[in-house]
Amino acid sequence: MRLVQDEGDARAFEVVFDRHADAAFSLAYRMCGRRALAEDVVQEAFLSLWRSGARYDPARGSVRAWVLRVTHNRAIDAFRRGAAKDSLDVADEGAAERVPAREMTDEEVHRREDAREIRSALDDLPSDQRQVIELAYFGGFSHTQIAEMLGLPAGTVKGRMRLGITKMRLALGEGTEVAA
Amino acid sequence: MSEWRPENRDCSGDPAAYVLGALEPDEVDAFREHMVTCVVCRDEVATFERVADVLPSAVPQYRVPRSLRKRVMREVRAHPRAPEQPPRRAWPISLSLIPRPALAAASLAAAAVIAIVVIATASGGSGARLLNASVVGLPGSAQVRVAHGRAELIVRDFPSPPAGHIYEVWLERGSAPPAPTNTLFSVNSAGTADVGVSGSLRGVSAVLVTPEPNGGSPVPTHAPVIVARLD
Repeated sequence: MRLVQDEGDARAFEVVFDRHADAAFSLAYRMCGRRALAEDVVQEAFLSLWRSGARYDPARGSVRAWVLRVTHNRAIDAFRRGAAKDSLDVADEGAAERVPAREMTDEEVHRREDAREIRSALDDLPSDQRQVIELAYFGGFSHTQIAEMLGLPAGTVKGRMRLGITKMRLALGEGTEVAA
Repeated sequence: MSEWRPENRDCSGDPAAYVLGALEPDEVDAFREHMVTCVVCRDEVATFERVADVLPSAVPQYRVPRSLRKRVMREVRAHPRAPEQPPRRAWPISLSLIPRPALAAASLAAAAVIAIVVIATASGGSGARLLNASVVGLPGSAQVRVAHGRAELIVRDFPSPPAGHIYEVWLERGSAPPAPTNTLFSVNSAGTADVGVSGSLRGVSAVLVTPEPNGGSPVPTHAPVIVARLD
């Protein structure tokens, strides 16, 4: 991403933050379950992008997808350090501010329509497949942890993940991609 | 957790678990090595990643707290990044420098970086071109910096080669078979390598990278995992 890696351009980085931080925070909030931990994850994710000068490869998806992958990985790192696992069942403090529909830009409205389709594709999965995908992606649990939780062989858990993600791909179509 | 052994394990469930972040940390490294040689897994990861990438859209959307924005931008302004390095001169790596296979990968990558930094301070370089390379079926990115008829390969977030293997750089000229170079490399623990490519770029149409048995190979034995078109 030239926007970010060019000579330490803080202003360009600010633009990237403003465009994608809501999505990153929403993902982290869903994964961590607590605002303070979600903030830590997002801060760590963006600062790691800044400090490393990580190179963005347009061939591998949009800037948004890249930022969200880093955020997801940071949240999983936090889980594996034991920082957030205990908080997954903690009730939301209710302090985070939802994006109000009336303030959404056209771009956000479009994204919300896409989000509805994606949510629907996830909800339409057989419950056993949706469960393992949600536990893995949003819960940050490994396949062995999920197998233990559900009392299933690890191979069964991975098989359900594969079936579920394949069905979602078919439901969403070949052009599935995160907008820039 | 069982040890990941591609020769005796069904890998069909691993691509989905990988893109969902559900493999154990040690399995991730092993699976990345496996992907170097398993085209089926590479293709599935590329396909499944597109689904995993949209999953965040399925969650309720919140505004990022303004206090967080202030904290991040304060840190960013307090710690500006160093400007990008000036174009670097290529640094050829000789096969004869490789002592033992396992040590070779790490020592070559480290030595190359040190040498490049030293040389870069002595040469400003001009007229350099930075070209994006295609990474085929693996995570990570690659670029080739071309200056003064030489190339430097810059690899980021790239998996280590499979056990007993090393990455080898090839130069392709027109329709002729790729010619081997003396450049062998691996990546460090962060998946990074900056490697000078030996040999002149005269007539070269593409720089290729393949995983090869330690010590290199006179002919490619695997499909390229990095392709940089120079023309």
